[in-house]
Amino acid sequence: MKIRNFPILLALAVMAGIPLAAWAQGFKPAKPIEFVVHTGPGGGADVLARFIANAMEKEKVLPVRMQVNNKTGGGGATAMAYLAEKQGETHTIAAYTGIWFTNPIMRAEAKHTMKDLTPVVRLVLEPAVIVVKNDSPHKSLRDFIEAAKQNPGQMKQSAGSIGARDWVVRQLLMKNTGANWAYISFPGGGERIAALLGGHVNMMVIEPQEAGEHIRAGNMRVIAQISDRRLAAFPDVPTLKEAGFDVPTVPQVRGIVAPPGIPREVVTYWEDVFAKLTQTPTWKKYLEDNLFEDGFMRSAELNKFIDVFSDTTRGILKDGGIKVVR
Amino acid sequence: MSGAILAGLGIYIVTEARGWEYLGPDGPGPGFFPLWYGITIIVLSLVLVGRNVMARASEPAAATNWREVGRALAAWAGLAACVGLLKVLGFLLAFALFSFFLVAVMYRRPLAPSAAIALGMALGFYLVFPVALNVPLPTGRLGF
Amino acid sequence: MDVIGHLYQGFAVALEPANLFWCFVGVFLGTIIGVLPGLGPAATIAMLLPLTFQMNTTSAIIMLAGIYYGSKYGGSTTSILLNVPGESASVVTCFDGYQMAKQGRAGPALGIAAIASFVAGTVGVVALMLVAPPVARLALSFSSPEYFALMCLGLAMVVLLAGASLLKALLAMLVGLWIAGMGTDLFTSTSRFTFGHAELLDGIDFVVVAIGVFALGEVLANMEMRGGARMLPVPKGLRNLLPTWQDLKDCRFAFLNGSVIGFLIGVLPGAGSTIASFISYGVEKAVSKRPEKFGTGVPEGVAAPEGANNSETGGALVPMLTLGIPGSGTTAILLAALILWGLKPGPLMIQDNPSLFWGLVASMYIGNVMLLVLNLPLIPLFAQILRLPAYALYPVIFGISLVGVYSVSGSLFDVWMLAAFGLLGYAMRRLDYPAAPLILGLVLGDAMERALRQSLMMSQGELSILVARPVSATMLFLAVLLLATPLFKKANALRVKAIEQAD
Repeated sequence: MKIRNFPILLALAVMAGIPLAAWAQGFKPAKPIEFVVHTGPGGGADVLARFIANAMEKEKVLPVRMQVNNKTGGGGATAMAYLAEKQGETHTIAAYTGIWFTNPIMRAEAKHTMKDLTPVVRLVLEPAVIVVKNDSPHKSLRDFIEAAKQNPGQMKQSAGSIGARDWVVRQLLMKNTGANWAYISFPGGGERIAALLGGHVNMMVIEPQEAGEHIRAGNMRVIAQISDRRLAAFPDVPTLKEAGFDVPTVPQVRGIVAPPGIPREVVTYWEDVFAKLTQTPTWKKYLEDNLFEDGFMRSAELNKFIDVFSDTTRGILKDGGIKVVR
Repeated sequence: MSGAILAGLGIYIVTEARGWEYLGPDGPGPGFFPLWYGITIIVLSLVLVGRNVMARASEPAAATNWREVGRALAAWAGLAACVGLLKVLGFLLAFALFSFFLVAVMYRRPLAPSAAIALGMALGFYLVFPVALNVPLPTGRLGF
Repeated sequence: MDVIGHLYQGFAVALEPANLFWCFVGVFLGTIIGVLPGLGPAATIAMLLPLTFQMNTTSAIIMLAGIYYGSKYGGSTTSILLNVPGESASVVTCFDGYQMAKQGRAGPALGIAAIASFVAGTVGVVALMLVAPPVARLALSFSSPEYFALMCLGLAMVVLLAGASLLKALLAMLVGLWIAGMGTDLFTSTSRFTFGHAELLDGIDFVVVAIGVFALGEVLANMEMRGGARMLPVPKGLRNLLPTWQDLKDCRFAFLNGSVIGFLIGVLPGAGSTIASFISYGVEKAVSKRPEKFGTGVPEGVAAPEGANNSETGGALVPMLTLGIPGSGTTAILLAALILWGLKPGPLMIQDNPSLFWGLVASMYIGNVMLLVLNLPLIPLFAQILRLPAYALYPVIFGISLVGVYSVSGSLFDVWMLAAFGLLGYAMRRLDYPAAPLILGLVLGDAMERALRQSLMMSQGELSILVARPVSATMLFLAVLLLATPLFKKANALRVKAIEQAD
């Protein structure tokens, strides 16, 4: 269902009649902000958005409230289409993730790309770790790769769908080493973990925060980290590069995007608000708790990043035999 | 009749499914499952058609009462019109019109009570959903 | 393990006035959103999440869990009265519940639903308290072949749901499978049957189909005749609004069946309450002394699925609390809430926060009692809606269906789909296709295809994986047996006929 309680469309209609530039001078939000996310309640983007809404209020960075609005569907396509429809609307923003880049590349039905919207900031980079069950014979990623080479197709990874980050990691590692293992898709993170803990698969790529408690309880073991440098939580586990696998690090990116056609002043306003938010202790503690990396980037830089990131993704998808539509 | 339509659906499913990978490098592809249930639909619907033909040969089927079907379809058309108007008029107006149509036209109630019921419906839904429960209703061009 | 001692402490926590108050708020809200079709517990919990940051975490989880299990109580109300499933898990309740209402037994049906919910809800909590860790380990041993076998067993229930023609039931089920397959393929991200609509990339929401086919199909069929829209009889007097002793006696086994099946299926992360209610209905019918009466308004046909979907709540909390693995949309948001409050859900959470866990368990006993006390007096009140004349009742059903569907996704496209499925539901009624198998195929289709493909990926294409494992082999055997029963019956009938002719 929709979570917003102020569909003041009359007010909107009035605003749309006023030339935007006239009142965007020294922009300040005048009413609650609609914060669009593409996952349902409890999903990764949803949890981040709800945390941001709460932190904004707590740290008094934003003078108005933020209302999270779940526009689920189409792997982000519904939320992107919704945002594109809000042309020029200055009180709506959305939280994007990597799927907002890959989805339009892979699917003809997803008609809008990040370039059709107004990217505002990049906020975090989520690293990942490769884990095995605690009683697994594979002590290192090298062990796993060797096992996969000796029994082609016998080793299994529990994962999300094709095109997701764990798929990209697998493609890169398989290309780099020539090994080959099965990629078994599960719809939810819970089922992926259950398959690993039940011993039905051999390995999975997981966010460190998600794995944290299973590692502490001794159910899982980390064999490599997908990060440029070692995370504070796992000082003894090598990164992919240190383990001898020369593959690019694939972080999950998260940030903020606005509807198309909004004035420069408004973009600057949002950049400043989020820059301020990322300096607060609440935000810093959040990154620390979740083992996220600070990936803050303003819109000019972000636009360049989007080009590079989309190109890389397109290349990896093509290599993996996936049809690319854009 | 319905058997023939279902057979058509089955053929459509099978043709679509043949366009997708049946067995991929990692295992069964997206065309695997649809192909099989598509084939089953075709087979079962042909059995149904066959049975009906045989049955009809021995005894004539009961005639459809088109008057009744007409009434149901009219009600459905009203619903479809209401859904179409949601975007323009918003839920409250479109739904009031639809209720009025049901009460006054479908059930031939006098105009005044019909209008009262229609307005009461819209008001009731307004009070329960957006006001009491904070559930947004579709809004139209008019802003409500 | 010192269960009594822990539970004593748990009750000490749950009986604090503040916690009692929040427990009541939770179950009360849960009942309301359960009554309203479309609006579900996951969305409500998300909406209330900001409020909980100011509360202490034990009170907060007590309230949010109250919304979760409370919504299962309310879900039966519109199913029974209007044939509009209030929650996805209440579709099965429509089968016999609405028939009871048509016979003027809406009150007893609602009463049975409330009592079944109470009994099974309580059994679910007892099981959560006593056997959570071993059951969670058992659930982990369930892998894709077992899930596939479970879905097959569920699909074989079609035999029990079929009306006059098994052939038509099978066809309806296959169409359900087709609808379930619409959208993006999980494995390869191929879009299937989307007709170029981005709205269909995630498939069609279950609620849209269920409300369209059941509620709108029924209303349209009733509108065929102006005079035929007779009012449903609502007997006066409190006694006629409550279930009789005979009803309760008929439901004895259903209470037990619903409780056990609901809990076990709830524990599995890959199955849900809708599947639980279908299977427990099927089991109830299979062992019943009067299976031919099912679908015409028998109380045990209400008690079994209502029990199952309540006891499922206790089951679904098992993997969430003992392993930090969410098994459903609602437990996923509960888990997210725990993380946002700064707790660390996972295998060690109960050990680290015993007062939270035991306080929650104790509050669930209290909450179930509150729900029973809250729901029984509401029955006469809700039953009054049937006193409305048809021309006023039908607009209400249309309106509730429209709002319910719109509130799920906030998309007008879904409302159009609702209208389309309403027409389909009507056509199916006209042409004697049963609706239940379509819903069954829709519920199971996705999970079944997934489990099959996962299994074959694990075995590198060897079908033997499905029968090489004892649990899945047993379930597949039962499924085949179930599918074969109509053939046996037919053969037997022919044999009897032949013998008679020979005489």
